[in-house]
Amino acid sequence: MRRLVLIAAFAAAASAAQAQTANPYTNNAAAIEEGRGLYNNTCTGCHGANGAAGEIGPGLAIPGRSYGRNSDAQIFDAIQHGIPATVMPAHQSKLSDDQIWKITAYVKGLRGTAIDAPSPGNVANGEAIFWGKGDCGSCHMLGGKGSIIGPDLSNLASLRKTNSIIDALTKDKHRVYGPGGAQPHALVPLPTWPVVRITMADGKTVRGVLRNEDSFSLQMIGLDQQLHLFERARLKAVVYEPGSLMPTDYDKRLSKGEFDDLLAFLTRQGNPPQADKPQVRMPGGRDPD
Amino acid sequence: MSLKRALLAGLLLVSAPVAAQVVDSLLKPDPKDWLTYSGQYHAQRHSPLGQITAANVARLQAKWVYHMTGQKDLEATPIVANGVMYISQYNRIDAIDARSGNIIWQYQRQPVATGAQRGTGFWNNKLYVTANDKHLLALDARNGSVLWDVAVHDGLQLAGQAPLIAHGKLIVSGNQPHGYIQGYDADTGKYLWTWSPIPAADDPQLASWGGQKPDGMPIWVSGSYDPELNLIYYGTGQPEPQWAGEGRKGDNLYSDSIVALDPGTGKLKWWYQNTPHDTHDYDSLEMPVLVDAPWKGKPRKLLLQANRNGFYYILDRTNGEFLQATQFVRRVDWLKGWDDKGRPIPDPAHDPSVKGTTTCPSTAGATNWPSPTYDPKLHLFYFVAQEGCGINIRDTARNYAGTGYLESPDEGKSWQLFTRALDAFTGKKVWDYEQVTSHHYGPGLMSTAGGVVFSPEEFGQFTALDSKTGKVLWHFNTGDVITAAPVSYSVDGKQYVAIISSSNVFAFGLPGGAK
Repeated sequence: MRRLVLIAAFAAAASAAQAQTANPYTNNAAAIEEGRGLYNNTCTGCHGANGAAGEIGPGLAIPGRSYGRNSDAQIFDAIQHGIPATVMPAHQSKLSDDQIWKITAYVKGLRGTAIDAPSPGNVANGEAIFWGKGDCGSCHMLGGKGSIIGPDLSNLASLRKTNSIIDALTKDKHRVYGPGGAQPHALVPLPTWPVVRITMADGKTVRGVLRNEDSFSLQMIGLDQQLHLFERARLKAVVYEPGSLMPTDYDKRLSKGEFDDLLAFLTRQGNPPQADKPQVRMPGGRDPD
Repeated sequence: MSLKRALLAGLLLVSAPVAAQVVDSLLKPDPKDWLTYSGQYHAQRHSPLGQITAANVARLQAKWVYHMTGQKDLEATPIVANGVMYISQYNRIDAIDARSGNIIWQYQRQPVATGAQRGTGFWNNKLYVTANDKHLLALDARNGSVLWDVAVHDGLQLAGQAPLIAHGKLIVSGNQPHGYIQGYDADTGKYLWTWSPIPAADDPQLASWGGQKPDGMPIWVSGSYDPELNLIYYGTGQPEPQWAGEGRKGDNLYSDSIVALDPGTGKLKWWYQNTPHDTHDYDSLEMPVLVDAPWKGKPRKLLLQANRNGFYYILDRTNGEFLQATQFVRRVDWLKGWDDKGRPIPDPAHDPSVKGTTTCPSTAGATNWPSPTYDPKLHLFYFVAQEGCGINIRDTARNYAGTGYLESPDEGKSWQLFTRALDAFTGKKVWDYEQVTSHHYGPGLMSTAGGVVFSPEEFGQFTALDSKTGKVLWHFNTGDVITAAPVSYSVDGKQYVAIISSSNVFAFGLPGGAK
């Protein structure tokens, strides 16, 4: 029996000696703000501000980037001990564990999107406003319903932060943070929705949002909800209109309560956070040899 | 080109058409489109477009190349509808401007997948995604938004062949745990039926397995459809264990067969078994091509199939009646002969053995899944034929022995691919084009009203042959492996021919701008 107690005591000691894995400051706004200050004093020289890529280090919070270190414990370890064989130094002599956890909470917050902490409010009422008073469905598609002029919002909260969604609803010149310097070398449709007005040779006009273009052709979705594919050589005029078709007065056209409910609905539209999945190779449909 | 036509060409994908109109568009497809895996329901793969001809194809030039990032060895046939081309992979569709090659939208479900996926289906402004996680999805063809996402019934894995949309039903199939075909409502994704080549408990054909539990019969190629008879035609795969037949005495239905099903209910209307009691893994998955033509002086609804077992079949597709089978490669030795009902009699002397048995054709087949094509004017049937034999080896003499197959090293029995033209009704060879260096399967073919057969080759040559003679008229080195089949379409009155080579889509046309 005594032997058993000894073993148990030894196991407990071993467990305590292991690194702490849970961040004490998760979702602690004051500590995250403190972490932001520490980050700006310590990290931006290499990593740049706001998690975007800097002069020396990679961006720490870039949409679409996959990270080598995802968990709080992994980020904590990288700050405390540095990353061997890279220029990332150890900070254990400069920063306390407490400070490192605060920076970790800030970096994690930068990486998160709206769905990590959905906005409070009446979700059902927000959905009713989306399709009703807000008239969002006349431009946007969500869950297979709605219109195709604007971006599909089915996965909005997994792609955008809550602040970015609020900005899109209320600010004329809201900015969507793109991948910055980490632009993948891939041909993808435009991440933005510029407004164009096409005048064809016969004087007829089509207005809509651009989806792609090159020196010789344009691909757009018209306000008529149809795809239009044009050759520039056959057009009389192409006018790029400033601004966006997106109204930005939702804080005025909706009451405070309605706005909060809409936000509660929008910040829940998406897939819950999940680990990066590796690429898979499907077994051959081709005859198995 | 008139302004009105320019405007019409620009106004794409008319919104919310009623289902009936869309069914009509699949029933009578506009020649400018390529709306299904095989172009049209009858699977003739013959483009009615005739701007590119045997006389001018030598001037064909590349118009654009689209790279499908992160992919390789794509086997998909693109869909082209109203000037937009849709290229698919498991979990993914890229929509590109078929005139410029510019991407319009991309749908990517996680995770990124690669594999032998053969295309999407288009119907009623919808595109269908075969996912690798046992899901089936419909996208809005205009912007790639997900319209519905359903789990495959019974949790089965889709084999990745292009879905067939027939009579408003979405038809998919697969291999695991054994072959199956399923029908869904193409509009809503609602599950309707499953048909399995495994005979049901009350089916007398269960006795064709000699008491062994039926297994295998994978279904990994799409089928064809006759809207008048309202029947879909699919091939089925080999029985299991594939090399060892002694435990499954009998014909092993419905393996290695052509089956006709009602797309609304999945009920089996008729079947014809090409290879009874198969021990060579021949399958019967080559595309059934539907042709209406006089047969011995009487108009008939025919079904043509060049089968992997070395025979070119003509059946009556109303009832499955066997009309004719002609040998299309020099050596065929897996059968002793035919009975008076058109059933081949397998020769057990050629069953696989531990020391190896030479069999003609080889398991790679006298032809394989790459699509054939039929020219309705010349009455020629074109397909990829492989001469030669193979050696089938069993690991052990046990019933469930694993094994493999090899190319025969014997003089005159090594493998050689040909693009081959048969008289569609006599089955007699009209011409041959030898595909130097290609081996094993080869890519699929397409004939055109311009008198050109487009014949891609495995190691990247995209070749144009004279439909009448097989003479080479033009070729282009795409620089990578081709395992897909070509399509043709038209935008603003200008004909294009497109082929996927590994991860790149190439579009070709005649010099100059739109007509």
